[in-house]
Amino acid sequence: MDFTLLTPELTLLVTAIAVILLDLFISRKGFLTVVSLLGLAIATVFTFGLRDDLSQAAFSKMLAVDNFAFFFKLLFIGIAAMVIIASTDYVSKFKNFRGEYHALILIATLGMMLMAATTELITVYVSLEVASISLYALSGFLKDGKSSESAVKYMILGAVSSAVLLYGMALVFGVTGKTQIGEIAASIQLSGYSNLLDNPALIMGIVLLVAGFGFKIAAIPFQMWVPDVYEGAPTPVVGFLSVGSKAAGFAIIVRLFFTAFEFPESLSLDWGAIYAVLAIAGMIIGNASAIAQSNIKRLLGYSSIAQAGYLLVGLATLGIAPANEVIGRSSILFFLISYALANLGAFVAIIAISNKIESDEIKDYAGIGKRAPVLALCLTVCLISLIGMLPTAGFMAKFYIFNGAVQNGLLWLVIIAVLNSVISAFYYLRVVKAMWFNEPASLEKVPSSGALRFSLLITTLGVLFMGIVPNLLLTFAEWAARILRF
Amino acid sequence: MLETYGFVGLFIIVTLGFAAIMILLPVALRFLKVVPHHPTSVKNATFECGMETIGKTWVQFNFRYYFYALLFVALDVLVVFIYPWATQIRQLGYSGLFVIAAFMGIVLVGYLYAWKKGALEWN
Repeated sequence: MDFTLLTPELTLLVTAIAVILLDLFISRKGFLTVVSLLGLAIATVFTFGLRDDLSQAAFSKMLAVDNFAFFFKLLFIGIAAMVIIASTDYVSKFKNFRGEYHALILIATLGMMLMAATTELITVYVSLEVASISLYALSGFLKDGKSSESAVKYMILGAVSSAVLLYGMALVFGVTGKTQIGEIAASIQLSGYSNLLDNPALIMGIVLLVAGFGFKIAAIPFQMWVPDVYEGAPTPVVGFLSVGSKAAGFAIIVRLFFTAFEFPESLSLDWGAIYAVLAIAGMIIGNASAIAQSNIKRLLGYSSIAQAGYLLVGLATLGIAPANEVIGRSSILFFLISYALANLGAFVAIIAISNKIESDEIKDYAGIGKRAPVLALCLTVCLISLIGMLPTAGFMAKFYIFNGAVQNGLLWLVIIAVLNSVISAFYYLRVVKAMWFNEPASLEKVPSSGALRFSLLITTLGVLFMGIVPNLLLTFAEWAARILRF
Repeated sequence: MLETYGFVGLFIIVTLGFAAIMILLPVALRFLKVVPHHPTSVKNATFECGMETIGKTWVQFNFRYYFYALLFVALDVLVVFIYPWATQIRQLGYSGLFVIAAFMGIVLVGYLYAWKKGALEWN
């Protein structure tokens, strides 16, 4: 057992425990934020320290230390750091539970990092639950009616989806007799596709796996929890789960389906088709429902369902494209960075604005452009990126995903996706219009703290940087798309 | 392809049919007068045999037991994990000892947390 390969995760675990212990014995709670950020920084250093050891299997092939996991570890650490910085003011609402808040964020991050690295079904399940259970607890942190409702809904639906996922894993295990995903692939290839068709259990297992993971990424029709959780849960937590949980779900889907079910080709065409159908449903229903929303957090909830739809176009490409082609995977990774930046930025701006106006209704956003020009400008840039317009990251991300899909004969799917992007512009721009062109209720300024401004600045600049100079991160995404098969 | 998914469809039909039959069977038997309907107080009792029931089902437990139940579950899980280690203690050597010590440390932090937060006080 080589524990050095696990140092980033162990660092987060130790930090989480340290935060819980410190919370019991010190009275200056601001210190907890510093310790959490320090832990994330050390984990980043350790992640980079493993850069020379990439492409190897650890712990009897249960974990992969490869480019793909390296990319997601950095992404999750970055997301967690942004969320912790953005919640420095917000945590005062949690009264006696600030230590638990930080510890749970760190443990959820740890679970997501393991999700990106696992190559074995049982470890997949354990790491998924580590992340999920922390998020269930976090959504109920405000302890008011709506927050508790969202936590209970999230937990019950999450438990059902876990059951579905386990059923799928059991069927896959039943057919192949293996839990390690490389060995599953070997077993499927050995038996041949025609034999598999006589035995529908594998297809059933794959369908149930799609359903179980579909809950994590908020794909239609497993999205029931999204609007209520987004509305009720604390805003920084919503930001965290909307990008972190979704990215982790996509990480595990890409690794599992790419490694275990890529061959024979007729099998990967099958699940590619499933994801294409889910993509259409997600985009159409997500966008159509978002139009009617009056609460901005619910609106972003439906928007995240639609964004999952665009990402599913990438997964459909992954199923249909030849396995050696890198474009399907790298475009998903690129889209995930762009989505993480834009969505986090939007949520940070919402935290800052609703701190003052104490409302999440879009009509109360009237005239924010005059009351807080910088906040409104950053929110506008993030929303434009979510639409996918120039010169932001969202445009480039959608361009690469759609480009990959067209090259592999999914033109019909891309036409639907582009039409949906046009529809989505309507509801995103409605918020922008309310902020800049509607008359404000009062002319009082909206103040924001340094920490909020800092994280907002980083996300907004990141969105613009990725939109104007995409080469750097695109090269990184292509490098990170190398998934180790063993 | 169609044949494969046909099995799934067949499975769904059989499942739904089985559930429907199981729900409708008692109703149908009652309707056809196969099952007689003569309720008595003994027949309507909660249990057919055993002790006679006393009082209502909605008994109130003291809410504070819930903390102890949670703490007990944590201890239970600890024992479940230590037991297999203890049987293989020689083969697993120092690395096994280290892992178990780390695991116990984490659980210990949990108990320390419960203690400091006052979960063990009875008030």
